[in-house]
Amino acid sequence: MIHFLFFSLLATSPSPQQGIVYDDFNTPFVLTETPRRIISLAPNITEILFALELGDRVVGVTRYCDYPAQALEKKKIGGMVDPNLEMIQSLRPDLIVGFRGNPLGVLNKLRTLHCPVFVLNLGSSLDGLFQTIEKVGRVTRAEDPAKTLVTDLKEKHQAIRAALRNVPKKPKVFLSVYGQGLWTCGEGSYLNDLLVQAGGVNIAGHIPRRWLQLNREQLIHENPDVVIIMAKDKERFFQAGESFRADSRLKDVRAVKDNSIHWLDENIAGRFGPRLIDALAAVARILHPEMFEVRK
Amino acid sequence: MKPGRKRVTFSITLLLMLAASLLLSLLIGAVRTSPTDLWDFLLHKDQTYRTIFFDLRLCRALLAFLVGASLSLSGAILQGYFQNPMADPFVVGVSSGASFGAVLCISLGLGAASAFGFSLQSLFAFGVGFSLVSMVYLLSQTQAVFKVETLLLTGIAAGAVASSLTSFLLFLRSDSFEQAVFWLLGSFTLADWRQVGMVAPYLALCLLVAQWLAKDMNLLVLGDEMAQSLGSPVARVRRIFLAVSTLLAAVSVSVSGVIGFVGLIVPHWVRMIIGPDHRYLFGLSALTGGTFLVLCDLLARTVLSPTELPVGIITALFGAPFFIYLLHKRR
Repeated sequence: MIHFLFFSLLATSPSPQQGIVYDDFNTPFVLTETPRRIISLAPNITEILFALELGDRVVGVTRYCDYPAQALEKKKIGGMVDPNLEMIQSLRPDLIVGFRGNPLGVLNKLRTLHCPVFVLNLGSSLDGLFQTIEKVGRVTRAEDPAKTLVTDLKEKHQAIRAALRNVPKKPKVFLSVYGQGLWTCGEGSYLNDLLVQAGGVNIAGHIPRRWLQLNREQLIHENPDVVIIMAKDKERFFQAGESFRADSRLKDVRAVKDNSIHWLDENIAGRFGPRLIDALAAVARILHPEMFEVRK
Repeated sequence: MKPGRKRVTFSITLLLMLAASLLLSLLIGAVRTSPTDLWDFLLHKDQTYRTIFFDLRLCRALLAFLVGASLSLSGAILQGYFQNPMADPFVVGVSSGASFGAVLCISLGLGAASAFGFSLQSLFAFGVGFSLVSMVYLLSQTQAVFKVETLLLTGIAAGAVASSLTSFLLFLRSDSFEQAVFWLLGSFTLADWRQVGMVAPYLALCLLVAQWLAKDMNLLVLGDEMAQSLGSPVARVRRIFLAVSTLLAAVSVSVSGVIGFVGLIVPHWVRMIIGPDHRYLFGLSALTGGTFLVLCDLLARTVLSPTELPVGIITALFGAPFFIYLLHKRR
């Protein structure tokens, strides 16, 4: 086997760009030619691919990939947890970019069917996002567009940080991630990083779990100044907001008393992709509107 | 019609149906393919079509066949063993126990390990399944009269405990929603040639043993004393049958999760057609069950295509009403 590999490497005389990259689950991936038929197994991956101007090379996406609009025209290979093996095969991909949340069984199965699979993990911060973008750039041989995109995102990031430099007080925030059931983000989640970067204090930020369900008692005890609800649209946000306002047990929570309940678009904040920076800006504006008005 | 002729006719019909359902499984799927595509593949060996027809559809259909056959054989044995038409690996709790064993093995980080040439996962599945069914048997025997209801209730309770333990283990592991669905409702989505290679020899072996002891099973139906006096080594026969039926269920579960009711309804259909003689019942139940599960899996992967349903939902949809019908008939 080793001999075979050795000779086949000699035979193909590797070009300088050839090499092996490891994906986020330490599976080696051999870079050969520029992939021309890419399948994305997650909405955030699709967004990254399109942001790297690889849209023309994407041949398949999940049914949840709705951004940018061109992604809607691509062939659907199923969902994130139920990608269809046949559909994927029929598109003859030369690169499948997966993401945490895709079932490991399916990814391994694809590998046994000789599909090149590269899987990325959910990062724990904005910096992690930049690394994810660079990795996608490397595996798609789009290193330069990736560099440009990351530089651009970092500039926006810096601008937001600069605007927040002299915030007088950091409000305590409860971020509702599902709109119901008091699910929120704890230490080590990228949304926690987002709240901190936006000049807030996450009331669940000290709990060492990425995603957790807060108890109503804890919510009352922590007494957040602001409640932010992630929802797909305004209507769902309104319903979720009602569940806070209508709950008499929460009436003394500061955010409820001041009606400081805000909407965060799940489509941008819920995806570990380039639009996360817009989510950061949105949260920063919710928490510190005054800092942004001054700048106008 | 003479019973012999009837069996021959039934067998031929079954084989034709099996061939038809395998062909349908090859032709129908999430990707639209026509018979000409299949023909093209056979002629030109196109790599993509090879993967779709051969590695995905055929492999999956064969695994479904093997699992369906194993579960039905297991059910046919258990029904004879308990002298109870309601018995089936799912109802007496073997399947859920085996599923718990398999998940326990994975949770201990031993999912890929093997011992004595068996995958450790199947050994765990067998071990837990066997202990569970033995327990159910002992509990349901403690009463002077062997009551159908006691067996069913004990089995269902034991199965519920095993399922909740499975859910608990899966809950401890993050990102396990699709795993939970797999282990609790069964699926052939990830069917693999290795799994086909693993199940086939077990099924062959168990079928041979069952066939070899089929006459003894016919005697057991007359009652243990009668069987003993007619020269059947009852205790040993019983042990072997229990082991064989559990092994079949455990191996099935470790490749496809829990698929309920196949082992219950299929032996009934076969018995209605060819009568209760176990010398024919075992083999034909396996054949019928295999064909039945191939068709169920075809439905599971096409009804909501490209989304796939867990095949256990389909079998339960057919099986549960039948179960109720049987209960009603007994009253």
